[in-house]
Amino acid sequence: MNCMNKLQVVVGDVSIGMHGEGFSYVFSGVRGGMESLVLGGKEWIYRNPAPTFWRALTDNDRGNKFALKSGMWIGADCFIKCTQFAAEIDGKSVEVPLPPANNVYGGSVEAEHASFTYRYETVTVPHTQVTVSYEVFADGKIHVRVHYEGRAGLPELPVFGMRFIMPTCADRYRYEGLSGETYPDRMAGGVPGVYDVKGMPVTPYIVPQDCGVHMQTKWVEVYRSKTLDNSCKEEKESGIRFWAEDGKDIAFACLPYTAMELENATHQEELPPARRTVVTILGAVRGVGGIDSWGADVEAPYHISGEEDIIYGFWIGRAAE
Amino acid sequence: MQADMKWLDDPQTFRVGQLPAHSDHRIYGSVEEMERQESSLVQSLNGVWQFAFSRNAKNRPVRFYEEEYDAEGFGEIHVPCHIQIAGYDKIQYINTMYPWEGMVYRRPAYALGEDRKEEGSFSEAEYNPVGSYRKVFDLDEGLRGKRVCICFEGVEQAMYVWLNGQFVGYAEDSFTPSEFDLTPYIREKGNVLAVEVYKYCTAAYLEDQDFFRFSGIYRNVSLYAKPQLHVEDLWVKPSVSDDLTKGSMEVELRLSSKGDLAPGEVALILQDRDGRTVAKQTVAAAEQVKVDFGSAWQVQLWDNKNPYLYKLSVLLKDGQGEVAEAVPCEVGFRRFEMRGKVMYLNGRRLVINGVNRHEWSAEGGRCISLEDMEWDIECFKRNNINAVRTCHYPDQIPWYDLCDRNGIYMMSETNLESHGSWQKVFTEPSWNVPGSLPQWKEVVVDRARTNFETFKNHPSILFWSLGNESFVGDDIEAMQRFFKEKDNTRIIHYEGVIYDRAYEDTVSEVESRMYATPADIIEYLENEPKKPFILCEYMHDMGNSLGGMKSYIDLIDRFEMYQGGFIWDYIDQAISVQDEVTGKKVMRYGGDFDDRLSDYEFSGNGIVFADRTEKPAMQEVRYYYELHE
Repeated sequence: MNCMNKLQVVVGDVSIGMHGEGFSYVFSGVRGGMESLVLGGKEWIYRNPAPTFWRALTDNDRGNKFALKSGMWIGADCFIKCTQFAAEIDGKSVEVPLPPANNVYGGSVEAEHASFTYRYETVTVPHTQVTVSYEVFADGKIHVRVHYEGRAGLPELPVFGMRFIMPTCADRYRYEGLSGETYPDRMAGGVPGVYDVKGMPVTPYIVPQDCGVHMQTKWVEVYRSKTLDNSCKEEKESGIRFWAEDGKDIAFACLPYTAMELENATHQEELPPARRTVVTILGAVRGVGGIDSWGADVEAPYHISGEEDIIYGFWIGRAAE
Repeated sequence: MQADMKWLDDPQTFRVGQLPAHSDHRIYGSVEEMERQESSLVQSLNGVWQFAFSRNAKNRPVRFYEEEYDAEGFGEIHVPCHIQIAGYDKIQYINTMYPWEGMVYRRPAYALGEDRKEEGSFSEAEYNPVGSYRKVFDLDEGLRGKRVCICFEGVEQAMYVWLNGQFVGYAEDSFTPSEFDLTPYIREKGNVLAVEVYKYCTAAYLEDQDFFRFSGIYRNVSLYAKPQLHVEDLWVKPSVSDDLTKGSMEVELRLSSKGDLAPGEVALILQDRDGRTVAKQTVAAAEQVKVDFGSAWQVQLWDNKNPYLYKLSVLLKDGQGEVAEAVPCEVGFRRFEMRGKVMYLNGRRLVINGVNRHEWSAEGGRCISLEDMEWDIECFKRNNINAVRTCHYPDQIPWYDLCDRNGIYMMSETNLESHGSWQKVFTEPSWNVPGSLPQWKEVVVDRARTNFETFKNHPSILFWSLGNESFVGDDIEAMQRFFKEKDNTRIIHYEGVIYDRAYEDTVSEVESRMYATPADIIEYLENEPKKPFILCEYMHDMGNSLGGMKSYIDLIDRFEMYQGGFIWDYIDQAISVQDEVTGKKVMRYGGDFDDRLSDYEFSGNGIVFADRTEKPAMQEVRYYYELHE
């Protein structure tokens, strides 16, 4: 048995594990998402990754009363229903719910690749669906595909992406993309390059608001030393890497806060102590606008329609040490 | 003359005993002093002063200016500093509405009729904080035996001044120097200077800028002595030939003397940057001196890329040929003109890559340091910002020098903003000031005059601005008339004329708008535009709100008559305080001081944060402002 080339599969009662050299992933069959992602000996998931639909309002969003038109997305961001879980191992679908059919698998299942698909229904009126699929390969790479289904009658989105919450704060992150904080309507001044960012700086706008977005990114690596593992005696830095599909790019933000935490604070000092890492890998980003801050909307090309599909993908794996 | 409280209520009384505004030139007792830039004729009064705070005029220590007054109960304050930052009065931020909105019903004198004088409106107000300042001082050696004046560079908003128990004068206009002659009352030792500063007077209607509402002595205070011969006013009028190769100059001087001016003389020497004398003249001293340098010389022009400054030295010599006073002035030669509805500087079309700049520091409010100004200039330069609008009042004098030396094009704005009188969420000018009210005309023309007289020698000033968001009427028209009669080397700016196009030909020489959409601008420029177009405010950068700049920058190539704009704005207005929960230094904004009414975070629209770090959006500004240098 060459475990370098095969995934070691555990078809559990409420989850399916995928294990290999240097990685260990568990996809929940009941919690609506991936539940464990271990790379470099470290857990990278605090709570299930899920689609995100909200950004903390910018001052222009507030000025043009965006929230009054699109406020229902804040609910979608907080609360989402997972309607379906599906898994395939080497192309063969796994029966769901897992028990009792999983009794046939035994302890030494190997696979070349496996895929896990979660289907979500938003709490918006009308509802719509988001499908997130993870395809896991024997070398530990995960290909994530995300499909938001546009629906007539849904208001514009402030953002759309996938949110990954990590158990502890990142020490730093590194990315190949544009310098500084960029948005679709504010990236001409961004200089392409590889950038190292210490910690997870929250741009100190006097009222906390959406910040830290990086457009046109090839890849981002997030590094952490701390874990929540009480038996861990030694803090050793290791990293996770998110990267774009061939010929494409991604947008991301890496902050210690969720959109809701930022939204809730009226001053920087009201933000809670930084404890987690929140990485959002974005499929669509609304512009920030600039004409005025009391009514003017962002320019037309930088809106995100809620009525059209958004489809994008990215990869997850271990960061180069 | 006795001080009268009623002046606070009367828009027609705004300067009493105040010296006329004059050029901001520095004076030195000798050529050596001028070269060392240390004047024996000037004495700073900055520092710790005695201070008492009262909520209103009724509760103030009325006789505090008397020499024998027992100021035992007084506290202290640092000069310069806002009374509010010093903790005596509440900090408040509000944008357009008057700061007493919802608390006091007020209307400006005469706004609702000839007979509506609104007496007692400020002098008898229940809340109109008074700062009573006392400073005991001796005269420095170099000032003794000479005529002595006092210069308050900035006092907000109305002040009464006494020296040694004698009333000296009264001033308004918070953002320009106010000077008084102390000669009749001054002595060598133990002078008692008393200054009573009011937060509000009729000027409050004209100083409704979108900023924190402060009061007090917040800029430098100094004494200066006039030697036997003294330059009261200096007006340097450089000119450039049509072919931009030759420079010439006229200089007008107003002199004063202790005793006779004759047989004194005035020597004027113009040197280039390398210290070579380019031109010189000597003429007899007189009250009015006009010197025409006549023959032109090969000239180095001043602009953003090469802010070449010549140095003019004016030496006043007494009958024995001794220099009594030496006055330096930096001179820039540039030709700014309108050609076929397009503004040209030195033969090139002007493109404004500008910002609006409030004077601001998170620690001091509008009391800022030279280091802050120098930081701002460096920030401008590294980010390709070539122009600044002094929104919406004149700044500290060194800022103008820095702009001269660094080639920053200035829109020098007069201290006027009255939007609370007509912008009541929506435009509602049923009453407004100054409007066309005759009783409010002199006060606004005086503000224009002070702006002009103080700063006229600065080559960096390309535009005189009549003010901001003050509607339009005969009074603002009169301000333009004043500038126009004085100065043809600059262009006059005012945005508010768009509210009444009847004034279009007599107010503002540019079409100026704020926050117009790119489509609005195109519409103007494609329909037989009368004037070149600029945006006095655009790209409102509140919080994280700067995007879509390309749509504006593209217009520069598309329309010759679109000549750029000033981003709103340069620096967030926020105040650094110690957090009452964590003990950490944090930034606070409107509403954070129990101040009501307030416009809350609307104070933070900068492309730099209040602590002078750049916002992330700055790289975008730097990029777009490099495209049309």
